[in-house]
Amino acid sequence: MAAIELTNLDLTFTLRRATRLSLKEYLLNGMFLNRMNPKLSVQALRNLNLHVQDGDRVGVIGHNGAGKSTLLKMMAGVYPPTRGTCRVEGRICSLFDITLGFEPDATGRENIAFRAYLQGETPKTLQSKIADVEQFCELGQFLDTPVRYYSAGMAIRLAFSIATVSEPEILLIDEVLSVGDMAFQMKARARMKNLMATARLMVMVSHDLGSVKAMCNKAIWMAKGEIIASGPAQEVIAAYERAAKPIAA
Amino acid sequence: MIQHLTSIWRFRHFWLSLVRLDLRNRYRRSVLGIGWSLLNPLAMTAVWCVAFGQILGQGDWRSLAPILLAGMAVWSFLSASILQGCDSFIRSEAYIRQCPLPFAIYPLRTSLGLFIHFAIALGAVVLAIVLLQNKLSALTVLPMLIPAILMMMVFGWCLATLASFANVFFHDTKHLAEVLTQLMFFLTPVMYTRDMLDKQDLGWIADINPAAYFIDLFRVSLLGGEGPNMERYLQCGGITLVAFALACGTMAWLQKRVIFHL
Repeated sequence: MAAIELTNLDLTFTLRRATRLSLKEYLLNGMFLNRMNPKLSVQALRNLNLHVQDGDRVGVIGHNGAGKSTLLKMMAGVYPPTRGTCRVEGRICSLFDITLGFEPDATGRENIAFRAYLQGETPKTLQSKIADVEQFCELGQFLDTPVRYYSAGMAIRLAFSIATVSEPEILLIDEVLSVGDMAFQMKARARMKNLMATARLMVMVSHDLGSVKAMCNKAIWMAKGEIIASGPAQEVIAAYERAAKPIAA
Repeated sequence: MIQHLTSIWRFRHFWLSLVRLDLRNRYRRSVLGIGWSLLNPLAMTAVWCVAFGQILGQGDWRSLAPILLAGMAVWSFLSASILQGCDSFIRSEAYIRQCPLPFAIYPLRTSLGLFIHFAIALGAVVLAIVLLQNKLSALTVLPMLIPAILMMMVFGWCLATLASFANVFFHDTKHLAEVLTQLMFFLTPVMYTRDMLDKQDLGWIADINPAAYFIDLFRVSLLGGEGPNMERYLQCGGITLVAFALACGTMAWLQKRVIFHL
């Protein structure tokens, strides 16, 4: 059973206008701090209520800065909610920022192990998967060179191959469908389709309405941190397209 | 807290492999390997022995060298725990932004690497005592120090945890810590002994300094030859407990806010 339930969920970021706070600044200007480096509140998500469960394929659409990626990170447990609750049941695999977080001095092969452990694998379960990753990323001898020397494309291949090797119950995707060269992209798409089919629950953020339509049965339209509409994918996308069209046309 | 600790254990493969990587990178970069990392305390001891033994005409270098080495082994572990601890969250930012792992893993990675380094340095101290002073008692005392060594590990982990939180919220913490540890190096009985302070009626400087207790515990136990001083042992245990409580409290208080300050 996999489920995600958000109730009355708010997320507020508090930022400083000028820069990050230093201890010197804090101690010296303590009294005047708020005037010189005022706090800014940014409400990233407001009053979200959502319930998705087994079998749901949810597409999240909306303009840039609408809070789509933040919502996904909230579901992954990276951001704690400021108010309300976020309950997630099931093993999560998150595909965002996948190219971040390589250990540059370690070889590709070692990085496969680190990432796998990060996703909760153990040396035993890793054994069977490592061959799969090595074969899928097609990096061959480069797997024994430090990741420091990889090109951007090679790093993305490796990251994608590692991230998609586990069999998650909940799959969270943020625009990762365009990876690598043509040949690899086709492979990647096939694997994504397979992954989406086997995951019990999927939430994807995409600007590609076509792929949302094709892959999702539900959709959420977000703007300024709020859910504008949610429901069957076809209806929500149609409404979004109507609203997004330039008025002059 | 129990939950936090069990989930640290659940991800042990992750941080253990990162510690292995750190150690390998540290020791691989030179032909000398482990010897390279001991170069700093050894060179420092040599200079100090020459300076005090020859120039000031004080003491025999054979008795002085192990005292200095022991002091430096403990001191460099504790100060490095703070200094490198500052970077623990910053350098793991990518992991923190992707996966909600227990935060204590990151300072643990830092302090465990330093701890292994400390163990090697401690080995060098024992070797120095046996070779220079022909005191085999240092070897027999060693098993009695195992709890103390583990206590050091926990203490270093707590220091690194506190430092890493401080550095996330105030990003100049590391800079200040560098200045302060430099200062503390001279105010702590690292390159001299505690009784030198006592003679000047300055014992209180060591009394208020947690690092001095640990240095004294290791120094007296290894060099004194009659085993650890129980009172010192308990004091160090108390310090570790307080640090642990502080680290746990800070963790509970601030862990949900770290992500917003990275």
